Amino acid sequence: MSNMKIKAKLKGDIVGVKAMAKHAMLTYDQAKKKGKKANFITHITAKVGERVVYDVSTSQFWSKNPQFKFKFKGGKKGDKVDITWRDLSGKTVTESKKIK
Amino acid sequence: MNRRNFLGLGVMAVTALPAILSAAGTIDFRATKPDAWTAKKVDAAIKALYGDIKPEAKGVTIKVPKVASNGGSVPVTIKSDIDAKTVALFQDMNPESTIAVFHVPEGGIVDYFLKIKLKATDENGGNGTITAIVEAKDGKFYMGEKALQVAKGGCEG
Repeated sequence: MSNMKIKAKLKGDIVGVKAMAKHAMLTYDQAKKKGKKANFITHITAKVGERVVYDVSTSQFWSKNPQFKFKFKGGKKGDKVDITWRDLSGKTVTESKKIK
Repeated sequence: MNRRNFLGLGVMAVTALPAILSAAGTIDFRATKPDAWTAKKVDAAIKALYGDIKPEAKGVTIKVPKVASNGGSVPVTIKSDIDAKTVALFQDMNPESTIAVFHVPEGGIVDYFLKIKLKATDENGGNGTITAIVEAKDGKFYMGEKALQVAKGGCEG
């Protein structure tokens, strides 16, 4: 999908998730130079059903199109992982992927 | 005052982070701890987030390249076997210090990978430092540090 790439794989009893969000992650300094408004992802949450499995408050210093990985227990093949990010402008994007 | 001395000054009682879990089971540290995100020094950022803590320097592993050729995309891995409540990540190269604050959910594992932007370090072999703090469920704090050099800055863009 366009806004986020997700891979989720079960290995033993641990699910490993790899993701990349599409976002310019414009810092305050970069924005100033470009005459734009700073905008970056400020929060990322991943859920399986209603259960939160990843929850991070983020800063302007994540890379452009930030990649991240995390692991959690208690997931099984076929479960859907929903990842949501929110940015400074208030925009939110959610993408889902089944655990392989 | 350097950071080590500052952290050694833990005379105040440890202030545990209040569990401000929203109904959705997430914690927005940008809303609950706004000062942690504008702090320009790592010790000030840690204080804004956790109060006057005295973390033990063990149990937290940070993996970064020794020399990052591209500051625009520096891979960082944080790992810990500590039964953690939160994990916070800081650096001393950019204008502000805090990179991320993780709330570790039930069943979550502290094995996080992310890519970050860092300003170039001193050409004369100066190092920057990545610092991670783990807040354990029992209220104790642990710390890990790793030095690196950044050849080409990634924040100038």
